[in-house]
Amino acid sequence: MINGNLKASYGADERVLNNRNKQMFVYGCLLLLALFPLFADDYAILMACKMGILLIAVVGVNVLTGYTGLVSLGHGAFVAIGAYATVVLSNLFTALPEGVLPFVVVPCAVAISALVGIVVGLPSLRVKGLYLAVATLAASFIVNFLIEQELFAPWTGGVVGINTPVPNLLGWELDTKREMYGLITVLAVLTLLGTQNLFRTRVGRAFIAIRDRDYSAEILGISLLRYKLMSFAISAAFCGLSGALFAYFYARILPEQFELDLSLELVAALIVGGMGRTMGPVFGVFIVLIVPELIKISMGFATGGDLEMQRYTAPVQEIVFGLILVFFLLKEPLGINQITDRILRSANRWPFARG
Amino acid sequence: MGQFVQFAINGLMSGAIYALIAVGIVSVYKATKVVNFAHGYLIMFGAYFYFTFAVVIPGFEGAPAWLASWQPAWMVEMRAGLSMFSPLGAVLDWVANLPRIVFGLLGAVVCNALLGLLIERSLMRPLMGQSVFAMIMVTVGLISILSGAASLIWTADAAFVPHIAPNTPLRFELFGTMIFLFGADIVNMVIALLIFGGIVAMVKFTKGGVAIRATAEDQSTAYSMGISVPKVFSRAWILASATGAVAGAILATRNGISPSLGLFGFSVLAIVLMGGLDSYVGVLIAAMSVGILEAMTQWKMGGEWAEIVPYVAVLVVIIFRPHGLFGQKEVERI
Amino acid sequence: MLSVSDLHLSFGGIKALQGVSFDVREGEITGVIGPNGAGKTSLFNAISGFYAPSEGTVRFDGSDITGLAPDKRAQLGMARTFQNIALFRGMTVLDNIKLGGHTRLKTGLFSAFRYFGAARAEELELRRDIEERVIDFLEIDHIRKYPITMLPYGLQKRVELARALAMKPRLLMLDEPVAGMNREETADMARFILDVQEQFGTTILLVEHDMHMVMDICSQIVVLNFGQQIAAGTPDEVSQNPAVIEAYLGAAA
Repeated sequence: MINGNLKASYGADERVLNNRNKQMFVYGCLLLLALFPLFADDYAILMACKMGILLIAVVGVNVLTGYTGLVSLGHGAFVAIGAYATVVLSNLFTALPEGVLPFVVVPCAVAISALVGIVVGLPSLRVKGLYLAVATLAASFIVNFLIEQELFAPWTGGVVGINTPVPNLLGWELDTKREMYGLITVLAVLTLLGTQNLFRTRVGRAFIAIRDRDYSAEILGISLLRYKLMSFAISAAFCGLSGALFAYFYARILPEQFELDLSLELVAALIVGGMGRTMGPVFGVFIVLIVPELIKISMGFATGGDLEMQRYTAPVQEIVFGLILVFFLLKEPLGINQITDRILRSANRWPFARG
Repeated sequence: MGQFVQFAINGLMSGAIYALIAVGIVSVYKATKVVNFAHGYLIMFGAYFYFTFAVVIPGFEGAPAWLASWQPAWMVEMRAGLSMFSPLGAVLDWVANLPRIVFGLLGAVVCNALLGLLIERSLMRPLMGQSVFAMIMVTVGLISILSGAASLIWTADAAFVPHIAPNTPLRFELFGTMIFLFGADIVNMVIALLIFGGIVAMVKFTKGGVAIRATAEDQSTAYSMGISVPKVFSRAWILASATGAVAGAILATRNGISPSLGLFGFSVLAIVLMGGLDSYVGVLIAAMSVGILEAMTQWKMGGEWAEIVPYVAVLVVIIFRPHGLFGQKEVERI
Repeated sequence: MLSVSDLHLSFGGIKALQGVSFDVREGEITGVIGPNGAGKTSLFNAISGFYAPSEGTVRFDGSDITGLAPDKRAQLGMARTFQNIALFRGMTVLDNIKLGGHTRLKTGLFSAFRYFGAARAEELELRRDIEERVIDFLEIDHIRKYPITMLPYGLQKRVELARALAMKPRLLMLDEPVAGMNREETADMARFILDVQEQFGTTILLVEHDMHMVMDICSQIVVLNFGQQIAAGTPDEVSQNPAVIEAYLGAAA
């Protein structure tokens, strides 16, 4: 029996934050996010922004891989599409007033990403599992290749990359990282909230049903075609949004930023955090971004700033990244979310036995 | 027409190497139901091992001089009378390199096999019988581990590595055009096809091969019939990494050594899926077709576009034949 | 209501069904029996749309549904359970049952993202409906928050029935509802099946091994043997039929 878990109506029983500890945790996190810019230094803001951008994309992958059970190893490409669409469209729609531009460009970029998502998702209707993983991987290689082509260089900048615009929301120019933090945080929280909501309704449940047993979902009237493609569209759209923010956040984007490494980072963050759980991506993104930074800092201390030794940093980061992923797969396949669940559960039962 | 033949032959030669790489992926899949996403990085290790044993170690001060370059008296004599680019000269160059080529190949095969065994024992074995998804994701994690480890170990710029066979240029006329080939490429192709054929024969006709096929059919039944499934697992990994070492050595002589060799594995993965994961014949045909398609793309559209040929091809094949050209559709019981 | 005529189904060279024809009458319980491998589950899979028959038609309410996808058939009001329980193992009992309401709900993608408002009202109404109509009825209120994996086999079978009932089906197809159950559990399940028919007026088609149960609760019985229909009729007629006796007891009888 969990303490204080007596419900008097269906409405109360359907709440997500159904006990005090969960409420305190979530509201505390939100408060911390709101107050963060008041005490954080530039470095902390930079890290927080990076996490927010990556988080939106990982939530997208979570919808597809975590909830619908369709594995993709190519979602970096959708982030690329979102980022490049934002830049290209901003340069095309110069007739629009600057303050309105993001409200047109970002939805368009997200929509383009979602459309490409549907096209890439088409093989998912015929193949499952690793065939799909390879199909998405192949699609992402093709997307990255096209971005790099000389043919499209007038729009994309080709291999040398392209400068990005500064977002202007109705006259408010977000030209500092601290202002971007506000935008990124709001969108990241909304993405999480939207996803949580999605999985309280028939649409989200249908995704999970397909993951758990597809023929049984069909027998309940769930069209595999419709819902698989919908899942692809949603996840690509989130990745596209993440890409749009990526473009706004950095002064310049390069094709190499969206290659295989990014796709793997997305999947790794999801597995480390916990697949198919709302908070999984949050934990995962935190680990995936904070650990390499810790390595960089500690390598810096250990070598005393010796530049000769600095070049070992990147390979060590890479190895540790792989090891974290492998460690979680072997020891805690359900991710950090499983660990926090255990802690919350025993907190609820306190002072009674854990279990 | 002559151009066409030239490019088709080039395509067949790279196709054979794709097939050699693919055989590693297929063998591991047959035995363990795991698709090794990091196979390209195993191959990269093979290439670096070959470089280490064929170039770095012979270059050490303590290493015997004949290991770096074998110059017996009769060879010096023969060489004296030769002109600069004579075919015999190329053969003599090869003979002089022979000790370090053999040393390099042996070292690469042994070290890579040990690496494969290590990966299987420490990362795959604990997940055996649990989750195929987790095992596949472990190989995804391996990509980062192997690629980081390679750039940590081999920091020096990789220099030229010796060709496996005498690299005599060959010219002959076919359909009225000159065809131009390198001797080493032909030998590489022959080696690749021989190893491919050898492995297929082994799986078909030997006792160990039967064990692999039985395990592929049904792991738990094979286990209960007295086949040591763990042994099949480690053998498959050793086989994959040993063939990968040869492939890596060949690739090192063709394309040079760099961390980007790992990416090669993904195009081969695409080829394997095209052919149908569990069919050696299908994979051979897919490898050859992609090799030729790539060469044709190179001819008509330029070298860059050849890069994405395998990916476009696999997407097209998957949409029309979801389980590859020769793959078996798994029937799901309801 | 459901009418199967001259159904043929084959896998490669194996003929799973050869000319099966019968009618399921509205509001009644029809049973399909036969020895192992007689093609009972194949028949179910053909009726629910997983296997495409090589010949013959399946009609529901007079309209031909032979080529219809399984999810479209569900929307027409056909529900079924599986022989080897096919629940969603990553979810709680409650979520499994809620999935049964999928086709009756209307929430679209964008209102799902907002949740508060129309989607929430619809969800709460669904919750009330399945609580009062299904969970209470099948006596599974004590386990509603349990994950499926924690339940014993018999209860899993009952949850699967609950999920099918949440669809408010007009035709309920049960594939071996009491397989592997002990006498007491079998009696419980038989009672639930009869209650479903009585209270909701649902038409039921079931496949079963347990002859006693089939004889007790079915009004019509179809007997299959090696993919062929060897008899059809009331329990009395069928149990006197010499072909049926031979199939079950061997030629000597």
